[in-house]
Amino acid sequence: MQLRDYIIRRLIILPFLIIGVSIIVFSLTRIGGSPIGIYLSHEMTPDEVAQIEARFHLDKSLPVQYFYWARGVLQGDFGWSGVSVAPVSEVFPKKLAATMELSVAAGFVAVTLGVWLGTFSGARRNKPADHVTRIVAVSGASMPNFWFAIILLIVFWAELGWAPIGRATADLYAMVPQRTGLYTIDSLLAGNLAAFADALWHLILPAITLGYGATAIIARMMRSSLVEELQQDYVDAARAKGLAERLVLKKHARRNALIPTVTVIGLTFGFLLQGTVAIEIIFRWPGLGKWMADSVLRGDQATLMTYVLFTSVLFLFVNLIVDIVYANLDRRVELGK
Amino acid sequence: MVDLPSPTQPGTIDAIAPESARRVRLRRFKELAAKVLSNPATVLGFVIIFAMLFMAIFAPWLVAPNVPDPYQMPRDWAATRMPPGTPGHPLGTTNEGGDVFYGVVWGTRMSLQLSLIVVFSTVVIGSIIGSLAAYFGGKVDEFLMRVVDVFLSIPELIFALAIAAILGPSFGNIMFALIVVFWVKYARIMRARVIQIKGSEYIDAARIIGDSNINIYLRDILPNSFTPVMVQATLDMGNVVLIAATLSFIGLGQAGIAEWGVLVSEGQAGIASGRWWASTFPGLMIFLWALAFNLVGDGLRDALDPRTEGR
Repeated sequence: MQLRDYIIRRLIILPFLIIGVSIIVFSLTRIGGSPIGIYLSHEMTPDEVAQIEARFHLDKSLPVQYFYWARGVLQGDFGWSGVSVAPVSEVFPKKLAATMELSVAAGFVAVTLGVWLGTFSGARRNKPADHVTRIVAVSGASMPNFWFAIILLIVFWAELGWAPIGRATADLYAMVPQRTGLYTIDSLLAGNLAAFADALWHLILPAITLGYGATAIIARMMRSSLVEELQQDYVDAARAKGLAERLVLKKHARRNALIPTVTVIGLTFGFLLQGTVAIEIIFRWPGLGKWMADSVLRGDQATLMTYVLFTSVLFLFVNLIVDIVYANLDRRVELGK
Repeated sequence: MVDLPSPTQPGTIDAIAPESARRVRLRRFKELAAKVLSNPATVLGFVIIFAMLFMAIFAPWLVAPNVPDPYQMPRDWAATRMPPGTPGHPLGTTNEGGDVFYGVVWGTRMSLQLSLIVVFSTVVIGSIIGSLAAYFGGKVDEFLMRVVDVFLSIPELIFALAIAAILGPSFGNIMFALIVVFWVKYARIMRARVIQIKGSEYIDAARIIGDSNINIYLRDILPNSFTPVMVQATLDMGNVVLIAATLSFIGLGQAGIAEWGVLVSEGQAGIASGRWWASTFPGLMIFLWALAFNLVGDGLRDALDPRTEGR
């Protein structure tokens, strides 16, 4: 299959997958019964209840209700958030910005640490250092991130008092005009260095906690592709011309090994996004994850379902991009399989 | 003279074939075991798993079970918030006087139950659906695989969280949510495997000697699909406990049960006052559990993957 055909095929399937996900999400909301409860009060007469039912099309059959719901979503109407006491669509961008800031910082930690660990491990294949590094990397994927966060807080917050909780110091945060919703960027745009330092200070611990988990995925890929590269002829050639082993590794093998690793970095994105739920609860980070957790506990279905829909669609797009990039990089990949 | 069976002799194939197949499988298993055990990280994983199993099996002898429900944390109101090393409470107690050591030990049983039930159910459901898709092919296959694609589009933890949230907080609901989320991978693995094996020569051979479809499926296809399913199942034994603990931590577990995620969540309140132990030890157990199965699963995958030969 040609690359172009493959991309077109994937793009055609994509809307159907999104519809499939939306059907699952809609069905989930209806398992818990009709959502009419949030509009009712004790003083209402049966007539008034019927009016409300008719107004929100809750008296119709499920497929018809799905149609109205989907139409609303397409028009940007995601319902009312009971937790935030505001329309979901209004609160969402602010929460998203906070979560993105955290995820990108965590991604930075994961990539730096993962590439380094993978290189270290791959260059020392099957030596004790390799086994130790592998255990360190697998530990990242096995560690309950909420527990790791608590351990770090016990040490750096409760015992040493070095690390803060939350996203910002209130007075500094109030001084910065919100242009992008990203505290780090906004503080730089405002030229407020104290606020920028404050943003980083609040970001470090949650970013490390979240990023460590994704490190394993990157390190594993980096290690195996480096091992593969080190067995190639050009590496022997570089060695034969007398190049120092350190340079063979740095200039040749590592550079090529990075190519497949880049695609895996895309895949860790889903991992990071899921991880934010627990991390944001513990660090009281006002992002999507914390919002989701609050909604779960208070039965706020509109918020919950928007979150599920949003993460799934994002996940689908990221996976599509990763697959295309990967197919472009490696022609040996059999498309359409 | 050695009695070699002649291929023309009737009945000999039946007598010889199962024996030699078993021998081949045994030899392969031995080779695999040697390869797996040559990796120290994998051996470490096995050691931790055996320690956990030991705790789960001998739990009643390690700490006396709580009456009437051993999966409920015992409450000793005379000894709340005790640090580790307190007589009778080697790992300290929680805010409500729950013995942390009790939670650590009996939590192994909770995790073992959870992971075995979820992994067993998902392997069975996924294998049936995957096999049906491969067997019927055509429209059935197309439909089932698109359903699988949709399920795989939703991130695991988020999906499980949404289902458990709709059903309400309970350990059983977490288990159910995980089954709904986890079967899809097995359907994919099984389908690919069955399609691959269906076209191979020994299945043609089995058809020629007149084996029924169900016989071919049970005797040839299933045993040969075992390895990739086993690798995934091993990894999932750890993943399932990790995700269940995360859901419990978020607040979808049952308060007061001897489950690690719930204990970490309940212990969290004490860290500001320096009571680090109530969260630390149960969380360490979740970590070790997931680590062990990940190490073994990775080891198996590497040992079985011909591409990673000699790496």
